[in-house]
Amino acid sequence: MNLVYILAVAFTASLLVYLSGKISKTLRNFLAVLVSLGMAASVIYLYNHSFAIHLSTGFPDFPLVLRINTLAWFFALIISVVGVLTVIFSLQYIKNKKRTDFYFLMLLLVNVSMLGIIFSGDLLSFYIFWEIMSWSTFLLISYNRGAAIAAGMKYIIMSLAGSAAILTGILSLYTCFGTLIIAELAGNLSLTSPAYTLFIFLLFFTGFGIKNAVWPFHSWLPPAHSEAPSPFSALLSGTLIKIGTYGLIIFFYVILGMKKFIGLKYGFFNLQYMLCWIGAFTIVFPTFIALLQNDAKRLLAWHSIGQMGYIILGIAFGTSTGVAGGIFHIFNHAAFKGLLFLSVGAVEYRTNGVRDLNSLGGLLKKMPVTFCGALIGACGIIGMPLTNGFVSKWLIYKTLIVEKYPFLAFAALLGTWGTILSLYKFLHNIFLGQLPEKYKNIKKAPFTMQFPMLVFSLIIITCGVLPGIPLKIINRIITSFGLKALDISIWGVISETGALNTVNIFFALAGAFFIIWLIFKLWPKETKIAQADNYAAGAAVPRDKYNYTVNFYNPLYRMISPCLRDFIDEFYIRLAKITRSLCNSIKLVYNGDTGYYIMYIILFMTALIFIQIKWSIW
Amino acid sequence: MDRNQISKWIKSPVKMGHKYSLHAVYFCTGCGIIEIPPSITARWDAERFGVIPVATSRQANLFLITGYVSLKTLKAIIRTYEQMAEPKFTVGFGSCPINGGMYWDSYNTIKHLDKYIPVDGWIAGCMPRPEAIFVAVTHLWTLIDREMADGYKRYRKNYKFYRSNQEKLYGKLEWPPLFQKDGAK
Amino acid sequence: MALKLLLTLIIALVTGLFFLGLSRKMIARIQWRYGPPLIQPLIDIIKLLSQKSMTHGGLFNFGLVLSLAGSVILLLFIPLGEWCIMNKSGGLLVIIYLMLLAPFGTALSSGAAANPNASIGISRKLLMALAYEVPLLLILLTLMTYYNTISISGIIVKQQNAGWSLTILPLLLSGIAYILILPAVLGIRPFAIVKAPQEIASGPSVEYSGKFLAFAEIQHAFQTYITIALFVNLFLGGASNPGYFFLKMLVVFVAGILIHTVFPRFRIEQAIKYLWRWPALLALAGLAVVVILDKI
Repeated sequence: MNLVYILAVAFTASLLVYLSGKISKTLRNFLAVLVSLGMAASVIYLYNHSFAIHLSTGFPDFPLVLRINTLAWFFALIISVVGVLTVIFSLQYIKNKKRTDFYFLMLLLVNVSMLGIIFSGDLLSFYIFWEIMSWSTFLLISYNRGAAIAAGMKYIIMSLAGSAAILTGILSLYTCFGTLIIAELAGNLSLTSPAYTLFIFLLFFTGFGIKNAVWPFHSWLPPAHSEAPSPFSALLSGTLIKIGTYGLIIFFYVILGMKKFIGLKYGFFNLQYMLCWIGAFTIVFPTFIALLQNDAKRLLAWHSIGQMGYIILGIAFGTSTGVAGGIFHIFNHAAFKGLLFLSVGAVEYRTNGVRDLNSLGGLLKKMPVTFCGALIGACGIIGMPLTNGFVSKWLIYKTLIVEKYPFLAFAALLGTWGTILSLYKFLHNIFLGQLPEKYKNIKKAPFTMQFPMLVFSLIIITCGVLPGIPLKIINRIITSFGLKALDISIWGVISETGALNTVNIFFALAGAFFIIWLIFKLWPKETKIAQADNYAAGAAVPRDKYNYTVNFYNPLYRMISPCLRDFIDEFYIRLAKITRSLCNSIKLVYNGDTGYYIMYIILFMTALIFIQIKWSIW
Repeated sequence: MDRNQISKWIKSPVKMGHKYSLHAVYFCTGCGIIEIPPSITARWDAERFGVIPVATSRQANLFLITGYVSLKTLKAIIRTYEQMAEPKFTVGFGSCPINGGMYWDSYNTIKHLDKYIPVDGWIAGCMPRPEAIFVAVTHLWTLIDREMADGYKRYRKNYKFYRSNQEKLYGKLEWPPLFQKDGAK
Repeated sequence: MALKLLLTLIIALVTGLFFLGLSRKMIARIQWRYGPPLIQPLIDIIKLLSQKSMTHGGLFNFGLVLSLAGSVILLLFIPLGEWCIMNKSGGLLVIIYLMLLAPFGTALSSGAAANPNASIGISRKLLMALAYEVPLLLILLTLMTYYNTISISGIIVKQQNAGWSLTILPLLLSGIAYILILPAVLGIRPFAIVKAPQEIASGPSVEYSGKFLAFAEIQHAFQTYITIALFVNLFLGGASNPGYFFLKMLVVFVAGILIHTVFPRFRIEQAIKYLWRWPALLALAGLAVVVILDKI
């Protein structure tokens, strides 16, 4: 199936969805699901295809190339599947809000433009689709109005700065090599001077790093992901920030080439090693800031930044296990972050917009499917065995330890413990504990909201128990980069150094759990008691006052919150303030008063005439 | 003390377990609380009998009512007793739980504790000394051996009686009835 | 194979319960009283298993079973003398990973208990785990880098040739750091912050009754065994025959109990500050020393 047709049909169909919303809501819902399903189906159909299509614009030097290979297929699969599930989730979620047609248009536009980025084979079409994605994301982040507008502003300004950097890089590459097609650029950069490589590297790292929310460029992510509507937050965290990683992978492994990337040294500075350290810092610092958040979506948003650190660490590390772990983590993170944001969305939908961790509690009995989804997502992001997060994190740890980089391994492992603490706070403050009076009559989440959560949970567990299925595809990707292929079976990776035998670990854990469960059940049956029948030192449980959620990690909060402010954010805000005061002082001169302008013109003309009379220059 | 006789352990481990591991809920009722710390500290060591205080009523199976019971305290006593895990044993200290004791004509104390929660044994005294507490523990062992320490079973069988007495005292109670009509929870 | 598995479990359980009983007896004797018999924890567990327990729902049961399963599976990766059941499946790296299962299981179960005492207790437990994991991870990474292997049996074999890890000079800093954090990992005073009967009504186990409390006690016994066995295997040379192994474990445990008897309890901020100050710095220095020696 022709890639052009897919993109063209998807674009027009999005506009059609908007127009059909004016006619009838059910028609629009049906069309929206159909379009996203169509995209997903066509992507799945393109499995194992590998071709490129050249389109010509009017200019002979700038053909538009659309291509698909295993890397593109992998990313396209993630994007389309997450897209379908978020569209299904939004059907009920967006029901009572305003401008819902606009919402669906923008959602589908974001999906299509992301697919366009993945499918583009030359940098011009890449940039075009990148820009479409940027502004449609901006419009959707500020969909909710209110605080979301400021969040969207922050996002679009940083994104535009990144796009400017990318554009500069593209122009520079064109003037240097005369072509923009990625396949032809590959390997060419090794022929130039190292200074030029560093220049291009910095430009592209800034551009893609801003989208990817690596540490110095991350400050747009927490407000943007928390103020966006929840299904779109799932799409943002799940796929949009991975597009930055896609750009980085294309740059490091395709344009720059494996050999050049591994040994990229400048005097003392090993650029690759510095990238690993940026990744390590991104893991630890934002995960601990996530501990201190009181807003459920902000906590998850800070977590997204942390998990991006794992991906950057894996990809920048350069060994086949590391890169495989990083790319697999892209897939896994889309699954569990999507799941977590969708469960927050379900809670938000039922409680009319409450996502403050300090006021929820005890929703376990009222929304059991949502809780199961959140639990499986939490287990995945922690990296519990039997979930797919375990496999990808294991690959990253193993390569760090085997290649003797214990400090990086320590940063990665510390990130896991920070994740456990913050995800437990998330689970506990929303689902566990006592139920407040005002949520006594909450209903379960509707089926269209439960269905995406079930699908995500299934993906997490299946890819956890049988990781060989995605690992086969990832193996093909890393061999296309020139790395050695991993030795995999359907159960996991087999290798020599202290083998990861995921089979043994899974079966041991499952067996131990099963046997202990059996012993537990054999004993006389326990009686079930109500939630309110709780130990309260002999008193009857006081309603609404018997829950501990506020300041959940108070001792740690007191100790580390002075050091864990977001310095980069404060720096950017300072920068913005300085720019604004500079512009204000320029306004003293350009003050909009025509009289002043006429004075300036007259004075300047007088000065010119005076100079001409005195010194006769012209 | 027949704790060392292996044959008895093999024959009825449940009874031996209940005897030699009595966890007392650390509930301080009245005058008798002054007698509890000496009996669990070094001089009159209660841990050698297997009696230790635990923090919550869920983990306990021995309830010591150490003195007079005022109306306020009785609510807490009933709540704590109902939250304990069965089988559970109650021991009343002193003469106040038996018949009102020194406060026989007070408006604020309970004269007959047995009407509100079942009691397995009483210890005479005003307050009994730690040695008397230990004699009571050994008597409780004998009762458990002969299966006569069945306060919890009486509570379940005659719950209507106990509950109506409690409601006569307090009006509407804040917690629902513990057992249904047929004795199930 | 199945026989080895069963024997390992039984030996671990018996040793763990023996240690718990020994601790109560020793504390009693130090406090000039007689104390309960050595098998008192077993009597407690028998009584608890015969009580009628109460539950708060499915998650309550699931969390407890998960934490006990986590402790049991951790057991399979630690060599006992010369036996190690899951020898070929990852060693130290898997242990680092599986160490998170037990606290997470307890966390889920106490959360479902819906009692603020349990929530405070479990937040303390997770904070303690985070606090001692920082030096512990550094120490384990130091060992993995120095011995160039991630298998514990490999480390034991190398120690049998070169002497105990505690006596090897580059690993001395890490050894001292491990000794300093051992009370925190074991959960004995001054770090008995999680189960604080007088402060927060037993923390996570406030709503446990009957068989739940029995399972929690068994999990505590397993966890004590695992912690001490790991320390003995990594730093005190392990042992090829089980008797010598138990002797070493006994020495470590008695030292711990002697500290436990005389110390009061830290507050959680004091505990975190302590664990992130000297032990973490020593462990970091130890790791730096080993890495520098490795590059030379």
